[in-house]
Amino acid sequence: MMKHKPCNACRDSLALLRALDFSIQETVLYLDAYPDCQEALAYYHKLVCERDALMSSYQEQCGPLSIYGNRSKTSWDWVNGPWPWEIEANE
Amino acid sequence: MWTYDRKLQYPVKIKNPNPQLATIIISQLGGPDGELGASMRYLHQRYSMPYGKVTGILTDVGTEELAHLEMVAAIIHQLTRNLSEEEIQKSPFANYFVDHTTGVYPVAASAVPFDMKYIGVKGDVIADLNEDLAAEQKARVTYDNILRLTDDPDVKDVIRYLREREIVHYQRFGDALRITQEQLDSKNFYAFNPAFDKHCNKKQR
Repeated sequence: MMKHKPCNACRDSLALLRALDFSIQETVLYLDAYPDCQEALAYYHKLVCERDALMSSYQEQCGPLSIYGNRSKTSWDWVNGPWPWEIEANE
Repeated sequence: MWTYDRKLQYPVKIKNPNPQLATIIISQLGGPDGELGASMRYLHQRYSMPYGKVTGILTDVGTEELAHLEMVAAIIHQLTRNLSEEEIQKSPFANYFVDHTTGVYPVAASAVPFDMKYIGVKGDVIADLNEDLAAEQKARVTYDNILRLTDDPDVKDVIRYLREREIVHYQRFGDALRITQEQLDSKNFYAFNPAFDKHCNKKQR
């Protein structure tokens, strides 16, 4: 299986994951100040549900995004491929 | 504790290296209003906050600042990649290069290394939140100044994103200050009594 290869599908998934994480971050900051807002809380749960599913499929196909996500039983993919600050990881 | 996400919060993809620009933008890494100071300020102020909502805002904004620190570092890293000795020689980046090569070291644009003296932890919620509101505005002005000094669209795109985040954080710290003032005793209308003296604050529900 290809790991950390910036194929088109992985690139698209990562872009979507970034967008979801951004929305979650914004919602979290809002909920910190307005914890009683049920609308924001429902939105948070919807986003986290989508995020969990996408994170799982991304790590399965494209490589680990956290130290808990190394799915391969035979190789340590965490150290493979471009790191986030390298241009190749952002193309 | 923290765990690392192996991705940038917002992509940094700079096609053209530009060492001179790196010497300006590095101020948002290790300068007086940079992301390192921002993250250290909020993450250390947390411990003396009397209200859960305010502690939450400081924790989550402080954590996001670490992500911004990484994004600014990514800009510096990409602006200084594949440089020839000649390109370095004719750029103001030469002064940085002699000490740090193309490593990423937190300094201000003036070359002064990062200093914890840039930040304050007063242990008083009103004093600290007012510092935080000012800090977000100062960081926003620095990004405005960076935008004045560059034409590179790849750089401007990321700087605009970071500038927007300062504005959002300012809003949340405004909420934090309002939440805090709502907790003050009526005798403390001018918010002059120290948070340290618990009787000056209303009981928390």
